[in-house]
Amino acid sequence: MTALLNHGPLMAIILDGENLRYPSTYGLPSYLLLSAVLFAIGFFGVLLRKNTLVIYMCLELMLLASTLALVAFSRFNGTLDGSVFVFFILTIAAAEVAVGLAIIVALFRRRHTIQVEELNHLKH
Amino acid sequence: MSTELLKVVADSNQWWALAPEIMVACAALGLLVLEIFTPKEHHRFIPHVAVVVLAMVLVTVALNFDKTWGGEELFGSLIKLSASGQIARVFFLLSSLLVCFLATICLPRTRMPRVEFYHIVLVVTAALMLLAQSNHFVMFFVALETVTIGFYILVSYFRDNALTLEAGLKYLVLGALSSALMLFGIVLIYGAVGRVVIEGVVHTGFEYGIVADFLRHNPDNFLAVAGALLVLGGVAFKIGAFPFQIWIPDVYQGAPTPVTAFLAVSSKAAGFAVLLTLVLNVFSPLAYVVVPVLSVLAAATIIVGNLSALSQRNAKRLMGLSGVSHAGYLLIGVIAALSVPAAANAVWFYLFTYLLASMAVFGVMAHVAGADDTAQELDHYEKLARQRPLLGTVLAVGLGSLAGIPPLAGFMGKLLLFVAAFQAGLYWLLAVAIGGVVLSIYYYFGWIKAAWFETWSPSPATAQAPARSVAATTFVGRAVLTALALATVLLGFYQEPLTSWLMP
Repeated sequence: MTALLNHGPLMAIILDGENLRYPSTYGLPSYLLLSAVLFAIGFFGVLLRKNTLVIYMCLELMLLASTLALVAFSRFNGTLDGSVFVFFILTIAAAEVAVGLAIIVALFRRRHTIQVEELNHLKH
Repeated sequence: MSTELLKVVADSNQWWALAPEIMVACAALGLLVLEIFTPKEHHRFIPHVAVVVLAMVLVTVALNFDKTWGGEELFGSLIKLSASGQIARVFFLLSSLLVCFLATICLPRTRMPRVEFYHIVLVVTAALMLLAQSNHFVMFFVALETVTIGFYILVSYFRDNALTLEAGLKYLVLGALSSALMLFGIVLIYGAVGRVVIEGVVHTGFEYGIVADFLRHNPDNFLAVAGALLVLGGVAFKIGAFPFQIWIPDVYQGAPTPVTAFLAVSSKAAGFAVLLTLVLNVFSPLAYVVVPVLSVLAAATIIVGNLSALSQRNAKRLMGLSGVSHAGYLLIGVIAALSVPAAANAVWFYLFTYLLASMAVFGVMAHVAGADDTAQELDHYEKLARQRPLLGTVLAVGLGSLAGIPPLAGFMGKLLLFVAAFQAGLYWLLAVAIGGVVLSIYYYFGWIKAAWFETWSPSPATAQAPARSVAATTFVGRAVLTALALATVLLGFYQEPLTSWLMP
């Protein structure tokens, strides 16, 4: 995969840093700032929120913030493999959600709650 | 697109090099197919298929071990063949083989489906082997997530037990959090490295070699340093180093015993295999930040792990927290490996002794555990040595080796690691580690005492409780446990077979 990208003359034409066919209105720093803000919202959401589903959404937000930064870097650096990595991340996120929601549903059936402060039966 | 380009790509895809991983992954799918096409009364033979395949692949990899493999990059530099990659393969295959053995003891006690468990163990094994050989951040992340998602399922496998599901949820949230931090780190590194585009050369900021090259020329690039620290934080979660050790006791307690063993041995070893590659090869120009951070982590990990293990009465939590302190000793080895190359081999030697001793202890735990897998108190080990001398002996040998008592393998592992740390001049870390070892003797011997010596005034609760029935050992079970204990004793006296194989 990467070898294809390393030698691909095609993307050098399409994504050459100087010859962007549709130049972006916003620069790289704007995208990175947005991505960092989204990441921070997700991170503090995981730490502070009490509902498992909201925590799970915050985790997905963190993955998407990384994806946004990745796409921005990929476009402004003129290398395509960052955009390809996005597909891997999306696939992984989908698998993670499938497993995660299954665990949350199974837990809800046993405990009838998904609030983290009530899920503290494991202790020494 | 020219034919020449396709030829270059095809030449670097050497599938034979990944034959062990492909065989394990195909076997994983084969198990599911077998379950569909065989009659129900034969299903109990399917786990044996998994064990046989793992044993065959293990023997094949061990026989074809070739130290001269070094630095060959395949699949467009996604994979790098190396001696340490082969050591990792042998380690993960051996560990998974023993996890399957533990599962054959534990799974029949529940009504959970069996074949899927072995299926996921095999998939995770293949991903672990790929992870240890990855040479590219995309490969690294995908393999790591395959392992992690497999572990989410395995940890919450006994889904009729609320505590197991709670452990699964905790592992899920914290694991996904660490993965997200690590992914952001990878993206930052990619962004920093990709910015230097030389005319006519398209860089890819994911390859280890290119990242290392970039860092050698720009060791103070802020984005790259932040990215490297985030990636190391994600790895620290895997090994259970200090600020990321909070998940360990709860998850170890709630997970089924074979999965606890899998987490304790394979997941930790995978973290160290990755850490050695990253610290020694990729982030070595950043030693000026990485070494202080890892030193503080190592010291804090040893202290926190040992102190919190002191008061534990639950066997699985005790294994988890003592495992945290082992991660601390191993971190010292990783730091030492930056200046003393032999330290990397000492880390692998330690991991092998840890594998043998931990699996011996978990093997005994799998027999002692009752219907509720999460309630394994030290009190349940009372009179174990009198009722089951073999289990008691194996337990004592395993725990003694983990504590580092002289004639056993664990002592030699610690000695090699500490000698390397001494040569590297890490004196204050060494002092912390030796203090930690002394503390660890207290709780390991508390466990041995519970199994070997009568308590003269049992608390009313245990006095009234009916005697626990320890599962009967099968012939294979006795053979495996004896082999683990014997290997631990023999390696303590005679390290030549393992060291000659590990040392370049």
